[in-house]
Amino acid sequence: MSKRLVGSAAAAMVMVMVAGCGGGSQADGKIELSLGLFSDFGYDKLIEEYQASHSNIKIEQRKVKMEQHNTQLATQLAGGRGAADIVALEEGVVSQFRASKDKFVNLAEYGAKDLKDQWAGWKWNQGTADNGEFVLGLGTDMGSLGLCYRADLFAAAGLPTDRAEVAKLWPTWADYSKVADQFAAKTPNVKFVDTGRNVYKAILDQTEEGYFAKDDSYIAEKNDKVKTAFDTAAALGTKGQTGALEPFSQDWNVALKQGSFATTTCPAWALALIKAGAGDAAAGKWDVTTAPGGGGNWGGSFLAIPKQGKHPKEAYELAKWLTAPEQQKRIFKETGNLPSQPKVYQDAEVQATVNEYFNKAPVGQIFATSAESLKPTYRGTKDSKVGPVFATALTRVEQGKQSAAEAWTQALKEATDAAK
Amino acid sequence: MTVTRPETEVAPAASVSPSNQPPKRFRLSNWDARYTPYLIIAPFFLVFGIFGLYPLIYTAWVSLHDWQLIDGNQGFVGLANYVELFGDAKFWNALFNTLSLFVLSTVPQLLAALGLAALLDRGLRGSAFWRAGVLLPNVISVAAVALVFAQFFGRDFGIVNFLLGFVGIDPIDWRAETWASHLAVSTMVMWRWTGYNALLYLAAMQSVPKDMYESATLDGAGRWRMFWSITVPSIRPTILFTVVTSTIGGLQLFAEPALFDPGFAANNSTGGSDRQFQTLVLYMYEKGFRLFDAGYAATVAWMLFVVVLLVAIVNFTLTRRIAGKG
Repeated sequence: MSKRLVGSAAAAMVMVMVAGCGGGSQADGKIELSLGLFSDFGYDKLIEEYQASHSNIKIEQRKVKMEQHNTQLATQLAGGRGAADIVALEEGVVSQFRASKDKFVNLAEYGAKDLKDQWAGWKWNQGTADNGEFVLGLGTDMGSLGLCYRADLFAAAGLPTDRAEVAKLWPTWADYSKVADQFAAKTPNVKFVDTGRNVYKAILDQTEEGYFAKDDSYIAEKNDKVKTAFDTAAALGTKGQTGALEPFSQDWNVALKQGSFATTTCPAWALALIKAGAGDAAAGKWDVTTAPGGGGNWGGSFLAIPKQGKHPKEAYELAKWLTAPEQQKRIFKETGNLPSQPKVYQDAEVQATVNEYFNKAPVGQIFATSAESLKPTYRGTKDSKVGPVFATALTRVEQGKQSAAEAWTQALKEATDAAK
Repeated sequence: MTVTRPETEVAPAASVSPSNQPPKRFRLSNWDARYTPYLIIAPFFLVFGIFGLYPLIYTAWVSLHDWQLIDGNQGFVGLANYVELFGDAKFWNALFNTLSLFVLSTVPQLLAALGLAALLDRGLRGSAFWRAGVLLPNVISVAAVALVFAQFFGRDFGIVNFLLGFVGIDPIDWRAETWASHLAVSTMVMWRWTGYNALLYLAAMQSVPKDMYESATLDGAGRWRMFWSITVPSIRPTILFTVVTSTIGGLQLFAEPALFDPGFAANNSTGGSDRQFQTLVLYMYEKGFRLFDAGYAATVAWMLFVVVLLVAIVNFTLTRRIAGKG
């Protein structure tokens, strides 16, 4: 059966490889640059502009789903061919690719270190290695944390609806759980939160060390913060207050449309996903406010340049331009992706930005405030291998297959294996 | 990784036995008759060598090393990967899932295909329409089929649970329970392949001599008896062929369970929260492309190859015996 699949996959790979080989100088003398991206970076218009002002450059965007992007990039780096001239690395996997940094151009060779002060310090550091000597990628957006909620469902449960009032309900995640209890008592048919997994991830993203200490040693089993985050999320699951949904899946979209959950953790980039899933019918019903427990970062990417590309110099110039402050500001206005540069998110125009769909919430101000207070989590080299183990453990609790304690024990065992 | 393909039957070469001293003018045609068949089948073996044999051997080589996907060879480790694999509960779980899904989907599928073919063989009106119709599910891309079925089997808003509600059955979390997930994934496989196999059977049935049925009718045999005593034994080679190809395909199941898992598009593609429907190929994918452990993934691939080989041999012997009885 799947031999056909294997066949077509092989054919697709051959095509990708052929396409990859085709890159480079064209007959008309133009330099072709390819950009390997996932989801929406908001580059469409910017690229047109760049091509107009650089008549010798032709740019091609390749967009695929994130998981596929990471897998493809890994095989392309292994095979030594086929990777785009510029590739996006998401914050969750950048540490994994950092371990193979010899496959990438050290952007410091082109003077990237001079740009350092543009970014928030932690964002810059995430994209570097060897104590800042090796610059792997230039930061694009970041994912400072907010909390989205359905004001109409809150009203039905007798809770306040004003975003400042709602923020006061939950200074901490323990308070958030109490609100969940109140909500469930009044509106048993609606789930308080979409998935325990995102609550868990949000809590963990508010700590400076998660699964790995800053020296890259594995500490999940002795880090109380991991256990606390897990227990908080698992308790919501055990009480049936979560929708047990796979985040951003088709089911998640359906649940959004049906209004079957009332809150969800939302980094800046998630607003667009909620809007797309909930549709026009829910316009003005969703609102966004401060997340419990302070600032945190989830997501955001970097632009890196694989060594196999033929035009690293030109690729660097393009990456530098795309991540420059002026462009980050424009991207925020168009897509809502939060700039990772303090000067930009402190900009008066960015601060004044409101999101019509989210009941005219002052998203610029909310996310920038969150960004100011955030202490990013150190991502270990094997973070992206360990994280999913805990996510599936929470799903088992939500599905009622295991108790929180059983799921935790199994997750620790699997995570220890994965971290080896 | 490994690409296992069924060997297509090669047309028997025209065998010419040369006489002792052929006249000179016949020598060329003699050479032609002797070697041309080999020349003609050579491209197949060439392609097979490049895309089948070479990856197979290379995979075996990789499996003997600590091999990281991006950074490549990290040193020879001998059979360490295999030793680890035999003690790996996740591997045995994946093997169980693979075999369970294979039995659940292949057996009913081939039986249904046999029945469907028998019906189509009875000269329905608009036979071309029905024949094209049964092939339709096979033409539709597997991704589309999986997307639709994944929604049918949704927990909260799925049609299947909605219908089960009418007969008083509580909603089933199709992705949480092992048996439920296997049932759902098998349904997808059956939907896609029953028609295809039915057409193969139909083609074979139409070459069964009609006079056999006539004489059987004269002897007073019923339809049921004729089907089992004439039709099935007559299409034995086709049944063997479908059994072998379904075995290979069924054991390499990937797309259906992968797309049934909503986590596949995200970062955790383990085939269920507790690997309820993770097949061997999904496990190989997880190891190789998510955890970047190519050496271990190659080991899984090789074990899969061995399993396919074993099951194919068992199947082949069994079906030959069963189909040969009549």
